[in-house]
Amino acid sequence: MPQPLKILLIDDEIDFVETTGKRLIRRGHSAKTALTCAAGLAIIASGWPEVVVLDVMLPDRDGMDCLREIKEKWPTLPVILLTGHASMETGLHGLECGASDYCLKPIDLEALVEKIAIAHRESRPPGA
Amino acid sequence: MTFFLDRLTSFFHGKPRLTPAELQAAFRSHYKEFRALLTANNNALELMAEMEQALTTGHPFGMTFVRGNCTALSVNIYKMIQHLTRLADGRYTELDHPFRAITRQLEQVIASRSPGTEGAFILPMAEVNANTVDQVGEKMANLGEVRNRVGLRTPDGFVITATAARQFIEANNLQIEINRRLKGLDLDNLEELYTVSAGIQGLISKALLPKELEEAILTHHQQLAAGPNAEELLVALRSSALGEDSSNVSFAGQYRTQLNVSREFVTQTYKEIVAGKYKSQAIVYRQQRGYRHQDVQMCVGCLRMVDAAISGVLYSRAPDDPRSPFVIIQAAPGLAATVVDGSGTTEQLLVSRTAPHSILDRQPTPKSQATLSEAQAAELAAAGVRLEKHFGAPQDIEWSFDRAGLLYILQSRPLGLSTAGEDQDTGKHDVGGDALPIQLLAGGMSASQGVGCGPVYTVRSSLDLLRFPKGAVLVIETPYPDWASLLNRAVAVVSETGQPAAHLATVAREFRIPAIFGLAGALTALANDSLVTVDATAGKVYDGRVESLLALAAPKPNLMAGSPVYKILTEALAHITPLNLTDPASPFFRADTCKTLHDLTRFCHEKAVVEMFTFGERYGFNDKAAKQLVVENSPAQWWVIDLDDGFTPDFDPESRYVDLAHITSVPMQAIWQGMTAFPWGGPPPVSLGGFGSIIFQSTRNPNLDPAVRSAMAAKNYFLISKNFCNLSVRLGYHFALVEANLGEFLTENYVSFQFKGGAADQNRRLLRIQLISEILSEFGFRVEQKVDAMTARIEKKPPPYLLERLRILGYLLIHTRQIDMVMADQGMAANYQQKIMADLHTLLDTPATEG
Repeated sequence: MPQPLKILLIDDEIDFVETTGKRLIRRGHSAKTALTCAAGLAIIASGWPEVVVLDVMLPDRDGMDCLREIKEKWPTLPVILLTGHASMETGLHGLECGASDYCLKPIDLEALVEKIAIAHRESRPPGA
Repeated sequence: MTFFLDRLTSFFHGKPRLTPAELQAAFRSHYKEFRALLTANNNALELMAEMEQALTTGHPFGMTFVRGNCTALSVNIYKMIQHLTRLADGRYTELDHPFRAITRQLEQVIASRSPGTEGAFILPMAEVNANTVDQVGEKMANLGEVRNRVGLRTPDGFVITATAARQFIEANNLQIEINRRLKGLDLDNLEELYTVSAGIQGLISKALLPKELEEAILTHHQQLAAGPNAEELLVALRSSALGEDSSNVSFAGQYRTQLNVSREFVTQTYKEIVAGKYKSQAIVYRQQRGYRHQDVQMCVGCLRMVDAAISGVLYSRAPDDPRSPFVIIQAAPGLAATVVDGSGTTEQLLVSRTAPHSILDRQPTPKSQATLSEAQAAELAAAGVRLEKHFGAPQDIEWSFDRAGLLYILQSRPLGLSTAGEDQDTGKHDVGGDALPIQLLAGGMSASQGVGCGPVYTVRSSLDLLRFPKGAVLVIETPYPDWASLLNRAVAVVSETGQPAAHLATVAREFRIPAIFGLAGALTALANDSLVTVDATAGKVYDGRVESLLALAAPKPNLMAGSPVYKILTEALAHITPLNLTDPASPFFRADTCKTLHDLTRFCHEKAVVEMFTFGERYGFNDKAAKQLVVENSPAQWWVIDLDDGFTPDFDPESRYVDLAHITSVPMQAIWQGMTAFPWGGPPPVSLGGFGSIIFQSTRNPNLDPAVRSAMAAKNYFLISKNFCNLSVRLGYHFALVEANLGEFLTENYVSFQFKGGAADQNRRLLRIQLISEILSEFGFRVEQKVDAMTARIEKKPPPYLLERLRILGYLLIHTRQIDMVMADQGMAANYQQKIMADLHTLLDTPATEG
């Protein structure tokens, strides 16, 4: 079994974050949710999350801007971008800004869980 | 792959040394990049396959699919380049160039918009013709042709244009919200579909019309009334979507038409018709046909109501016979709508196409007085023939005679004909054979030809509609247009009432769903859930499954083909899938020759393997990295390089040899098991025993060219970790590469196989590859064959499944020579092919040995 992870979901779609959070917990992970970038940053600052799943469109800030701030302050924290609107431009831009992965809603939870686990593994030094 | 084999000669060069610990760390971090690259490669190849399949299967897809997959694909290839650059200590940054160029081209393809010319909000009917189609939609453009170029009478009026509709949506900033709601909508979830559809329609109907648009509509309405009595003028508002009624797509009955609209309701009705673009069946229809929602604009014709005495539909030819010498007329008192929505009782006439256009047949036989007079029938038939001549194809025409006896053409569009040449004789075809099936019903009219079989499902209300199962026979009382949304789930339609002019029939023909209308007693005779076969061509329903009839049914056409989204995907794939970099040894195998995303994946993967292979060279890794595999009875030499954790911890790193017991690599063990499960028992006399003899034979072959000979001298290498194996092998003249990863994440799992066969003549090489392809396809591989080279892949499957495939590949690697023999002797071919399949199945019944 993959190891349990502490996952932060930052997304303003309340239905999505709540159900996804619950389903992650049911699979043995820990999950917290934030509806804004500011709330997400506060949780990250507490040192809690091991992986962040970030929506590209947030009410208080541009998600890409939010990503940049996270990667500036916590460069080793893996961030997966999740969005309802596919765009090659933001996808590539997101990776350039340091995102680990870029996925599209709707996403199969199984696939998301794997992407989270892989992003976490890749963020560790090898052999750790 | 020959490239890195060639570089083996420089494998043992000394370089400045790192400490063993540093070396181990450097190697591990390189391996990490390598593994991440393989994962991205795996994702990219799967996405490409998915996109290619979308073109061939005919399953509906929209722009969301195209845009989403292109994005995911470019993201994964970007990752591959990043990982390769880090793996190669900063080299290969030049890949950024082709990558940017290709993604820029892709972005342009995806962003391309259907041409929409900007223009006036309103066009009077007098100015409407085929040239204004981008402004008025095809239905109104055709009507303009009828009026202004054919010279037949049509109702006066005007068209509220595409520009107006676009302006309306844009002024309210609705498109983003609409697209958001449609995103990820599951077409099979009817409840969700209806909710979303109703929500979007509400959004549009409640939005405000831009002031100038509202004024323009009312001003033209006033002019149409031609006087102060505008309050009394009644109009029909007819939808005329751009893309509707084009040569092979008709959104028949998908959109709204509102009759008898008075002045106070004109603007509200207009909004509702624009909203009708998002009716559930229209959403399904577009999605299935590959129309982007924002590319379809709802133009609306505003036409003076005809005070109709008698109305109906005219087919200029019989729908099942493009050469019929008669037109078919359906007529009913009052408005044409009763004929079209399938609810009224109508009479049907066959009228000769040639003057004096006499009536050949009339059903039902008139009791007291005929609905349509002989003169009217003749006038109609003449009009139908003229319209067919003008538009160059059989037409489906809506018409009315007003109380003054004047003929109005309300609409003319191409008639959805059964494809000529197909099922020519099924009409006369009787069910032959020994056991005659039990006939449950006979009669009615063929609304859409063909044969379908499935369980009966009766739909009486919207509630039944939600429960309608996929693959069922739809049984209904009346063919309401609303049932059209079920047609992508139904295999056949049987209706107690209605006739072939009903909108549902048009849609059924287009979807090639067999349909019988007007089949009395269907609801009682056909019990829910009972399996029936509907022969709509002959108008019969049989109990159970009648194979002899189903065999006559034509295959479904790809509904997506030719649609705008299909074209965009085809164009996008031109920048994605063609593989130009096929030969790593070629001087053109370079970053700057990568023309497609597939080229980039190929290049990155190849170079990544080379980088892992030459790690020792670059880092002065010790010359003992490659261990010779100790195996009995194998004159072939096998070398193993451990990438990470492929050897047991107690293995002595100083040893020059490794035996199987010290190998922890699960995929390597599986391949080896497949290789050695059966002694090589090919037809005599290849002699010497054991597969190693193949090597000896090959090296002695004087006909080999020097390049091949030098590559032949290379050894066979396994690059392994616990979950990973990359085996490059030359046995005989074949070059093969097996690569596999079997980890805890399905995302990362795959088995890939490349095979290129030499030596035998071209014909035999092709046959050999053909046979291997067939075998691998049978075991679930996705196989691509290019002349005498093939690649086969399976992704994202659980390890036990992939281990079986690795054993199969191991077997085939060793026994390809045997396959050659199969190819050499036609008489023995069948036997050997059988033996190979028997071996493979035995192999799969054997449990894998401990890894």
